[in-house]
Amino acid sequence: MRRIGVFVCHCGINIAQTVDVEALSEYASHLNGVVVAKHYKYMCSDVGATLIKDTIKEFKLDGVVIASCSPRMHEHTFRRVANDGGVNPYRVEISNIREQCSWAHSNKEQATEKAKYLVRSAVSKALSLEPLKPSTLKVIPEALVIGGGIAGIQTSLDLADDGFKVHLVEREPSIGGHMAQLDKTFPTLDCSSCILTPKMMEVANHENIELLSYSEVASIEGSIGNYTVKIRKKPRYVDVDKCTGCGDCATACRLKDRIVSEFNQGMGKRGAAYMPFPQAVPLKYVIDDKKCLFLTKGKCGDEPLCKKACAPGAINFDQKEEIIERKVGAIVVATGYDVMDPTAVYEYGYEVSPDVITTLEMERLISSSGPTKGEILRPSNQQKPKSVTFILCVGSRDETQCTWCCRIGCMTALKQVYLLREKLGEDVEINVCYNDLRSFGKGYEEFYRKVRGLHTNMFRGRPSEVRTMKEYLKIDIFDTTTNKLFEIKTDMVVLVPAMMPRTDATEFARLLHLTLSGDGFFLEAHPKLRPVDTFVNGIFIAGCCQAPKDIQDTVSQASAAASRAATILSQEELEIDPLIAMVDEDVCTGCGICVEVCPYEARTLNERKRIAEVNDALCTGCGGCIAACPSNASIHKNFTKKQLLNMVDDIM
Amino acid sequence: MKKKYSLFPGCLMPTEQYAYELSIRETLPLLGVELVDVEGFSCCGEPMKSVNQLLTVYLSARNLAIAEKHHLDVFAPCAMCHLALTECQHILEENPAMKERINGMLAAEGLQYTVKRQVVHTVDLLYDQVGIEKIKEHVKKPLNGLKIAAHYGCHIIRPSEIGRPDDSENPQKIEAILKVLGAEPVNYPQKLDCCGAPLLANLPESALTKTGQKLQAIQEQGIQGMVDVCPWCHKMFDSRQTKAGETVAAKLDVPVLYLTQLLGLAMGISGEKLGLELNLSPVEKLQLGDVK
Amino acid sequence: MSIIDLTSMGEPQSDLRKELNDRLTKLQDEISDYCFQCAKCTSGCESHKLLELEPHKIVALLKRGLLNELVNSDVIWTCMTCLKCRERCPQRVAPVEILFALKNMAVASGKQIPGKYTGMLQSILSMGLIQDIQQTTTRTNKTLKRDELGLPPLSKPIDVVKFQAGIMKIAMEKV
Ligand code: SF4
Ligand code: SF4
Ligand code: SF4
Ligand code: SF4
Repeated sequence: MRRIGVFVCHCGINIAQTVDVEALSEYASHLNGVVVAKHYKYMCSDVGATLIKDTIKEFKLDGVVIASCSPRMHEHTFRRVANDGGVNPYRVEISNIREQCSWAHSNKEQATEKAKYLVRSAVSKALSLEPLKPSTLKVIPEALVIGGGIAGIQTSLDLADDGFKVHLVEREPSIGGHMAQLDKTFPTLDCSSCILTPKMMEVANHENIELLSYSEVASIEGSIGNYTVKIRKKPRYVDVDKCTGCGDCATACRLKDRIVSEFNQGMGKRGAAYMPFPQAVPLKYVIDDKKCLFLTKGKCGDEPLCKKACAPGAINFDQKEEIIERKVGAIVVATGYDVMDPTAVYEYGYEVSPDVITTLEMERLISSSGPTKGEILRPSNQQKPKSVTFILCVGSRDETQCTWCCRIGCMTALKQVYLLREKLGEDVEINVCYNDLRSFGKGYEEFYRKVRGLHTNMFRGRPSEVRTMKEYLKIDIFDTTTNKLFEIKTDMVVLVPAMMPRTDATEFARLLHLTLSGDGFFLEAHPKLRPVDTFVNGIFIAGCCQAPKDIQDTVSQASAAASRAATILSQEELEIDPLIAMVDEDVCTGCGICVEVCPYEARTLNERKRIAEVNDALCTGCGGCIAACPSNASIHKNFTKKQLLNMVDDIM
Repeated sequence: MKKKYSLFPGCLMPTEQYAYELSIRETLPLLGVELVDVEGFSCCGEPMKSVNQLLTVYLSARNLAIAEKHHLDVFAPCAMCHLALTECQHILEENPAMKERINGMLAAEGLQYTVKRQVVHTVDLLYDQVGIEKIKEHVKKPLNGLKIAAHYGCHIIRPSEIGRPDDSENPQKIEAILKVLGAEPVNYPQKLDCCGAPLLANLPESALTKTGQKLQAIQEQGIQGMVDVCPWCHKMFDSRQTKAGETVAAKLDVPVLYLTQLLGLAMGISGEKLGLELNLSPVEKLQLGDVK
Repeated sequence: MSIIDLTSMGEPQSDLRKELNDRLTKLQDEISDYCFQCAKCTSGCESHKLLELEPHKIVALLKRGLLNELVNSDVIWTCMTCLKCRERCPQRVAPVEILFALKNMAVASGKQIPGKYTGMLQSILSMGLIQDIQQTTTRTNKTLKRDELGLPPLSKPIDVVKFQAGIMKIAMEKV
C-alpha cells in the first residue's frame, strides 16, 4: 500500500481567496492512498518546507502531492524538500491550483470543486510515479568562444584566467571586431585601440587560449558538458609559424593599393597580400583568395611577387582548407552585429552622394590610422568641410526597417561632434538632427550637456530626405522645438545607421539550436533573470548578438557569460535530468522514425539489436519521439501513457 | 545686541505705500532694531531692468555705496529692491571688470562699492535677526487662531542661486512668525504664485488678472486674510483689490495686511499708528484691536 | 554652410547671438546652449497662462540665432519676472534673463518702449525715483500725504545734476 501526503498551499491569498483550502485539504485526506493532507500559508517558505519534511517522517510517506503554483515556479524546490525528507524527488507531483485554478476563476465554490478534481488526478499520478535516479556525465573543462570582438575577447580572457582552456574562433583574419575600427570611445574618450590592443595581445599570448582566427564553426554535436565542435580553418596562404609580420609581401603585391579595404569601410585601399590593420592579432599576413591574381587566374606576372619578397618563405599557395575538431564543456556565442546598409533608407542619399557617409566611416576618417590619417576631408573633393550634419536613427525605431533602438547611435554621434569640433575648430557648423536623444549610461548625460555647449545646432526631428545639389547637400528639417522648417545647406552628412543581427544569424542559430527573438537577435532564456543563458543548456550569449549595446554593457555581459560557463566547467560531473525518453526494447521495431524526428540528435539506431536507443546526455525530454513512434515503444519516464490516462480518468 | 540698519525705502513704499513704512517704523525699534535714515538714496533700478540692465546694476551699486559710506548694513523692505541690491552684489563680486567699470562711474558722485554689506528684507530681518523668541516676548494681543495666508512674493524667494531670504519652494518663515503671533498660517496651493505687479507698467489688465486669480483662490478656500511683505504685492492685493476682482468677475473681499501691520497689532500697537486706515481691503472684518 | 528658417524666411544673426550670450554670461553665468527643450519653464510660466509667452521657445530661437524675430516681437514684453523659469530649469538656463536681454536689445535698437517705462525713466532722471510723493486715500475716503502721517522726508539724490550725469553715461554704454 502506497503512502501519499497532500500539501495545499494558500500562496498568501493568491490561492486561498478563491479556493477553500481547508475544504480542499479535508477532501484530499480521504482520497485513496492518501494518509495525510495539510495546508499552509506559504509551502515554499522555510516553515512550509519543514512542515513537509516532518510530515514525511511522521507518516512514513513514500509520495508527495503539492497543490500550489505552476511547476515552473517551484517544482525544483519541492523535489529537493522531498528528497531531504526521504522521498525520491521524482515521486513528487505538483497540482497547479493557482495559474490553472484560483487565478483563472472568481467563483469560490466552483473553483474549490475544480481544485478537488485537479488534486485527485495528481494523487492518482503520484500513486504510479516511479522513483528515478539522475545519471551523470563527465564535464570537459574547456570552452568554445565564437567571435573575437570585444565580447569574445573578454569572455575568453575571463575563462582562461579561471584556468579553463579556451578555443576562440574568429572568422576574420584578426580578432578585434568593430571596436578595433573605432577612434575613441564615449563618454570617456579613451582611445579605442589603446584599451583594446593590450587585451588582444593578452589573448594571443595566454597559455590557456587557442586562437583560431580566419576560422568558422562547421558543426556542433553533443550537449552541456560534452560538445564536439568541428571548425573550418580557411587557408591564409601564409604559414603563420614562418610569417614574421614584416609586410614585405604586402609591399611587393602587384595589387597593392588596388583593393578596397573592409577595415576602413571602403575608404582606404590595400593589396591582395595584406594585414587588416596595424595592430592585428595574430600579427600575420593573409592573402585574399578572392582577389589574388595567382589564386584566381593561376598566374601573377612571371611569378608571385609576394612569394619572391618573403624572406622566411612563409607564402604557401598549396594551403588547403582544414577541418579540426575540439571537445568542450560549454560554449559562449559572441558573434556581434552588422551595421545596417543605409541604402535601405534611400531618401538619405547614401548611394547618391559620396559625401553622405555612416558613423563607422566617419570613425575611420577621424582615426589617425585611417585612410586620411585623421584629417576630416569631404570625400567628394578632399577639402575640409565647412558644415557637417548628423542624422540620427537612420533605419532605427522604424517599423519599416529596424523597430528597435540601436542604443549607441546618439552617443556615437555626440562623441563624433565632440571630436569634429576639436579637429575642425570653432567656425565649422555642426548640426544634429535627432528624434529623441538617449544618453542613459554613466556619464552619458553629462557628455551630452558638454556637447550642447559646443555650439552644436540641435534640431529635433527627422529630415525627410537629403538632396544632392551641385555644390552641397540640402536638408529640410522641421524642428519641433521652434516649430519651424529649416533649410540646412551642408557639406557632409553623417548617417547613424541601425544595428542589425548578423546576416547569417538564422543559419547560425540553427547550427546551435538557438532561438531568435522577433528582431532576429539571439534570444536569452529570461530577459531579466537569465540574460546570458540560452534555451540550450551549456550555451551562453554575450554582446551585440543578443541585442544592440555599447562597449560597457558588452564587456559586462561577456564577463557574465564567462562566469555562467565557468559554473559548468568547474564541475567534474553533471547530473542529467532523468525525465527523458526511453525505449521499450521488447516493442521497438527499429523503424527509425524517432531518429528522424529528434531535433537534438539524441536518437540512434542500434543496427545490431535492431532497436532505437536514446543518448541520455542529449535528450531534452521534448517528447517528439513519443508522439512519433508508431509502435508505442518510445516512453517518457514518469509521463507514461498509463499514468496520463489514469489522471484523465480521475478528472472525468 | 542692538541691530542697526540703514532703511532703504526704494520708490514705492515712501511715495504711496505709507502703511508699510509706518508699521515698520512702529514695530522694529521695539524689537531692538535701530533704523537709520540716510539721505541721497535713489531707485534701486529694478523697474528699469527691462530697459537697461546696466542702469539697474549702476543704481543698485550706487545705493549700496551710499550705505557703505555710512558703514551701515541695508534693510530693504521691498522685494524688488532686495533682489536688485542682492543681484548687484552678486554681479560685482563675481565680475571684477564690471565692478571696476561701475566704480569708475560712481566716482563722479564721490561713491565707491568695495565691501559686500549685509542686505536684509523684512522676512529674514524678523526671523533670523530678531528671532522668533524675541517676537514672542512682545506679543501682547495674540491673534486667536486667525486663518491667514502668507504671500511671499517672487523676488524674495527666487532665484535661490544668489541667496534669498527664504526657501524658494517651501518658504516657512512668515508662517513661523504668524504662529507666534497666535494666528494659524494656512498652506494653500497658490502660495508661490506671482502678484502680477511687474506687468503693471505695460499690461495692467493682465497684471490685475493675475492678482484677481490668486485672491479668488484664497477667498474660495475660506481663508480669513492674507499678509504680504512687499509694496508692489500690496499695491496689487490691497490697493487694487476691487479692480482685480473685476478682471476675474468676482467680488473680492479678502483682508490684506502687511506682515508688519499684523505684527504691530499683536504687539498691542494701535491700528492708526500702523496705518491700517490706509488699507483699502476690508481689514475691519478681522476685528482686530481698534481697526474699523 | 548655412541654415535658413523657411517658415519666416529669417536668417540666423550669429553676431547678435554672440553679443547676447556674452552679456548674459557677464551678468548671470547664463548659458542658453545647455537648454534641452524640456519646456519645464513654459509649463510653470506665470505669463503663459494669460498671454502667449513660451519661454522654452524663446531659448530655442536664441539657440538658432533667430534674434530679429524675437527683438521685434511684443511677446518678450509679457514676462512677469516671476523667476520661476530660472529657479526651476534643470539645466540652469534662465529664460527670464534672456528676456531681459532681448528687451534691452529692443530698446537699444530704437524700438518703441511700451507702457509706462519711459515715464518712470524720466522720473528717475529728474528726481531719482520712479514717482514723486503721491496722495493716498483711506478706507473712509480721506486723502493723505506722506508728511501728514508723520513720516520723515523722502530720501533721494541730493545733487541731481551729478546724478543725472551718471545715468546719461550709462545710457551710452552696453553691458
Ligand atoms: S600572388 Fe601576386 S597578387 Fe597575389 S598576393 Fe602575391 S603578389 Fe599579390
Ligand atoms: S525526447 Fe526523443 S525526440 Fe526529444 S530529445 Fe529525447 S530522444 Fe530526441
Ligand atoms: S530653459 Fe530650462 S526649463 Fe526651459 S526648456 Fe530649456 S532646459 Fe527646460
Ligand atoms: S519669469 Fe517670465 S518667462 Fe519666466 S516663468 Fe516667470 S513669467 Fe514666465
